[in-house]
Amino acid sequence: MRFTSVNAAALLLGPIAFFLLFFFAPFALLIGESFTRPDGGMTLANYITVLSDGYYWKALLNTLLISFWVTVVCFVLGYPLAYFTVFHVPSVWVRRGIYVLLVTPLFTSNIVRAFGWIIILGRRGIVNTSLIAIGLIESPLDLLYSKTSIVIGLSYILLPVMALSVCSVLQTVDRSLIEAARDLGARPSRAFLAVTFPLSLPGVVAGSIIVFALSVSAYVIPSILSGGREMVTPILIFQQYTATFRPDIGAALSVVLLAVTLLLIGAYLFFLERRLRVAV
Amino acid sequence: MRISLNHADRLGRLSIAGVSCIVLLYLALPLVVVIAISFTETEYLKFPPQGFTWRWYWKVVSDPTFVEAFVVSSQLAAAATATALLLGVPAALVFARKKFPGARAMNALFLSPLVLPTIVLGVAILQYASALGFARSFWALYVGHVVLVTPYVIRTSLASLSGMDATLEEAAQDLGATRMQAFLLITLPQIKPGVIAGALFAFINSWINVEVSIFNSTAQFVTIPVKLFNYIQFNIDPTLAAVSAVTIYIAILVVVAIDLAVGIEKAAVNTTADARS
Repeated sequence: MRFTSVNAAALLLGPIAFFLLFFFAPFALLIGESFTRPDGGMTLANYITVLSDGYYWKALLNTLLISFWVTVVCFVLGYPLAYFTVFHVPSVWVRRGIYVLLVTPLFTSNIVRAFGWIIILGRRGIVNTSLIAIGLIESPLDLLYSKTSIVIGLSYILLPVMALSVCSVLQTVDRSLIEAARDLGARPSRAFLAVTFPLSLPGVVAGSIIVFALSVSAYVIPSILSGGREMVTPILIFQQYTATFRPDIGAALSVVLLAVTLLLIGAYLFFLERRLRVAV
Repeated sequence: MRISLNHADRLGRLSIAGVSCIVLLYLALPLVVVIAISFTETEYLKFPPQGFTWRWYWKVVSDPTFVEAFVVSSQLAAAATATALLLGVPAALVFARKKFPGARAMNALFLSPLVLPTIVLGVAILQYASALGFARSFWALYVGHVVLVTPYVIRTSLASLSGMDATLEEAAQDLGATRMQAFLLITLPQIKPGVIAGALFAFINSWINVEVSIFNSTAQFVTIPVKLFNYIQFNIDPTLAAVSAVTIYIAILVVVAIDLAVGIEKAAVNTTADARS
């Protein structure tokens, strides 16, 4: 469709106005709040509090550590599934079924998925009762309410994101390159390592950064599966508004979380740009 | 000369298939367990469930606080989706058909709610709405959810628009159609599947949100996920399983609808994965 600049501006007016009013303005207010003293003056005190207190640092490091393991698990489980789906599933119907299984959890609330893990990992949960039934253990293990259960829960939630990200790149891999490697005598494993895997790296990197960013900012899963024993930054933010009533500290913590995420997105965009240049 | 597969190669293929099957089980397990347990006749959670009863579902349906939360969630998701369509489709149309400086950056900003911390959006809306006097109300939830779900509509519409032949619209315009006529008669019918998929993505992502809703609702005025979040702190029982199961059925319905509209494979890869954005 041909547009004059006036038409284009008219069509963009609504979305721009809405996002300015209810997206940029709220974020600007939040950032302003993080620099504000209770009496209204400007201050860096909130950041000094947040960045000088070992407790906040520990929570942030904990968040990053958990997110690191979530990313690793998502890659280790998600890559083979994506590879299998794109290259080894001949039937359209089976492939369709796999995509349905990948998307349905994404469309279910985090809270429901966390509840599922409580049933599975709880003291009287499926894993413990089965282990006791076959006589491997005598008393139930504490599987819930630890770093491990948070990593399990978050990887479960973010695995589809990683798998779909890898799928989207594997679909575009030129299969004649793999055929050529095979025709030249490469075993499938060597063809994979020399051709397919390097070509799929953009999907892996993109998926990893998104998974990492989403797990850094995850609130529901850590809050339900930590049982109060593990602290992460999003829980700290929540507490500033609901328990300690320090919205100024909450705002500063939010900005720190936002900065960490933006750094990750920046890395992602930088990577994409470089990849484009290499491709050209 | 291509060499044939040896034992190691076959084993490799087999182990990829094996790992994939385990991962698929891992994906289905929590949802299957929740659904199974919602039919148990026991007063507490028991897996495998004992007997079969609809009792917990009746308990949910006859509890006005759950029904009300379902109504709030539905109204909110419907209103947010309708608004997201009104904002997102025109924006996608401009981004697809008009080149102007800063278009890419502007598009990226519209899509940014997909990757920014949702909890920070929730907090920001809370403070903003408090300053303007509409904190913890339907409208606070509404504006937050619109920001949250508009990116899905923009992304799927944009994918459909760039896949269609723009010369058809131009031909219609050359033959005297107004822009509105060209859009309604030529463009919209062709991008309809993408727009429907976008609307479904938008609806479900509003429907399942916790982080924005939790900061902007009250104890009485809550969406279903927030109601579940509050409930799970004190009770873990089959009622919780029944409500959760209902939300899973809705998720399945939406997945089927998307599959019918555009095909789940295309929709999943285009909308969820960011690798080619």
